[in-house]
Amino acid sequence: MSRTPIALHIFHWLFVLFMVAPLAVVVLVSFTDKGYISFPFDGASLRWFQAIWNQKSFIDSFWLSLALGATAATLAVVLAVPAAMAIAWHRFPARDLALALLMSPLMLPAIVLGIAILRLLSHLGMTGSLAGLVAAHMVVVLPYVLRLVIAAAAGYDHALSQAARSLGASAWAAFRRIELPQLVPGIAGGWIIAFVTSFDELTMSIFVSSAGTTTLPVRMYNYIANTIDPLLAAISTVLIALTLVLMIVLDRLFGLDRILGGKA
Amino acid sequence: MAFLKLESLRKAYGEFVAVKECSLSIGEGEFVCLLGPSGCGKTTTLQMIAGFVEPTEGRIILNGADITRLGPSKRGLGIVFQSYALFPHMTVAANVAFGLEMRAIAKRERRERVAHMLDLVRLDGFADRYPRQLSGGQRQRVALARALVIEPSVLLLDEPMGALDALLREEMQIELRALQKRLGITTIMVTHDQVEAMSLADRVVLLNNGSVEQVAEPFAMYEHPSGRFASTFLGKSNVLAGDVSGASVLVGDQELPADLAGMSGAVDYIIRPEKITFAAAGGLVRGQVTARVFLGDRWLYQLDTPVGPMQVIDTNVGLPKAVEGDAVGLVWAAENARVVARGAAS
Repeated sequence: MSRTPIALHIFHWLFVLFMVAPLAVVVLVSFTDKGYISFPFDGASLRWFQAIWNQKSFIDSFWLSLALGATAATLAVVLAVPAAMAIAWHRFPARDLALALLMSPLMLPAIVLGIAILRLLSHLGMTGSLAGLVAAHMVVVLPYVLRLVIAAAAGYDHALSQAARSLGASAWAAFRRIELPQLVPGIAGGWIIAFVTSFDELTMSIFVSSAGTTTLPVRMYNYIANTIDPLLAAISTVLIALTLVLMIVLDRLFGLDRILGGKA
Repeated sequence: MAFLKLESLRKAYGEFVAVKECSLSIGEGEFVCLLGPSGCGKTTTLQMIAGFVEPTEGRIILNGADITRLGPSKRGLGIVFQSYALFPHMTVAANVAFGLEMRAIAKRERRERVAHMLDLVRLDGFADRYPRQLSGGQRQRVALARALVIEPSVLLLDEPMGALDALLREEMQIELRALQKRLGITTIMVTHDQVEAMSLADRVVLLNNGSVEQVAEPFAMYEHPSGRFASTFLGKSNVLAGDVSGASVLVGDQELPADLAGMSGAVDYIIRPEKITFAAAGGLVRGQVTARVFLGDRWLYQLDTPVGPMQVIDTNVGLPKAVEGDAVGLVWAAENARVVARGAAS
């Protein structure tokens, strides 16, 4: 084991500081007792956290975003797994084209996608519907799931499937008992990234959501456009705390490296 | 009667022909080795028998039934893969039980048969381990147990010793042969290792360039190779190009003795290095030792002779009989030389 150079240590910690400092400021600001955003402040209070409970719309949006993220990520998994298996394991005409199409939402600016999907939904008469919102999010998060599942599938030893078949397993049994469990690390990692991406998505959602289906980021964006007070800092703090707890739990249970690295 | 019969099997991938023509009859309980260099079509042949590759032409008859178009899950064959292909997320017991589970065998019987099979491959006590916790030899035994527990009609082995080191390989070969004899199961093994093929098989099927070169018992194939390829792939050989001249073979200006049995024209004259002995004076040909390699139980000599470079193997019985630079005579018995028509078998 060689010692890490001191300069690398310094760079590492500067980088961590750069990443965490804005979050720290947001968290600190949320504990102010003033009616405006100021930092540093003199009086500390929990009044803005209390204020969240009086804003029922934010709570509703939180649950909506949670459900939306989970649904979009799950549907993306259902679509991405067969697609990834086909792309990673087989050679067929237009394979590269199929992959490029499925990955294309990553390359399109969200605003373009937002306008396009809004146009499509209005054409279908689905503007403002929850189904439309779910479909739009699914399109955006699909590439993340697909990438990770393809990575997991690429390392799969096909002799495993052959072994299962030779032992009498039907194609379906081989998929359910052998292939799917081997893809689980990629699926889990993909699902989490898809969920986070959906939960966080603002630009496209502005176009696609309606009064009845306002996601949390859209609600926060609308709010901040009119009012600037520490309420948003308090909401952000709650989200940061929830994320932290989730990460710790995931790391303890499965190991974050494993899930997000897509390795078995 | 043939238990497993391959009839003119052929597999082409577009322009590329992996297996040109493979016909073979295998008796019940027989241990057959498909031997050949990489790319000779041995693995493709095995894959066709297993049902993973569909033959372009030909038929596969197992126990009287045509299984050419039958799916791999319906053939009931046991397969041990080169990588073993153990299911990494299952314990040893679950791996072995998988085939029984697919056959919907009751839990109780499943448990008994798995335990019995693990006992047979000397892995009792490893039932709850995961494949990654096992050594190479243990993994191979799990793979063998998993293939055998379903009581397959034929056991297929795809380079099963490839991933093992030399010592373990020898041990596993002996164990595999003993197990195969004991169960009396028809076995087909693919290998590129001629020593492995000779030591394990009842019959060796030598493949080259997608065609069957020779089918024979190991001793017969070694002693009577069908041609240049067989003689050099299975053991070492001196292959001299010559022409039949009267009752002997003319190689360059040298007349070499042989049992010709009515042959004529251009021939390959084949003599194994260990069938040659040194003579201080005289000899069928004379040569000069250019190099020698000590192999423990024997010496391998490289010589320059008027008929070309030759190899001689001499058993180590104490002092070496010749050193580099020595001029020696070479002697062998006419009945140890094989003469085959040149180009008859490549």
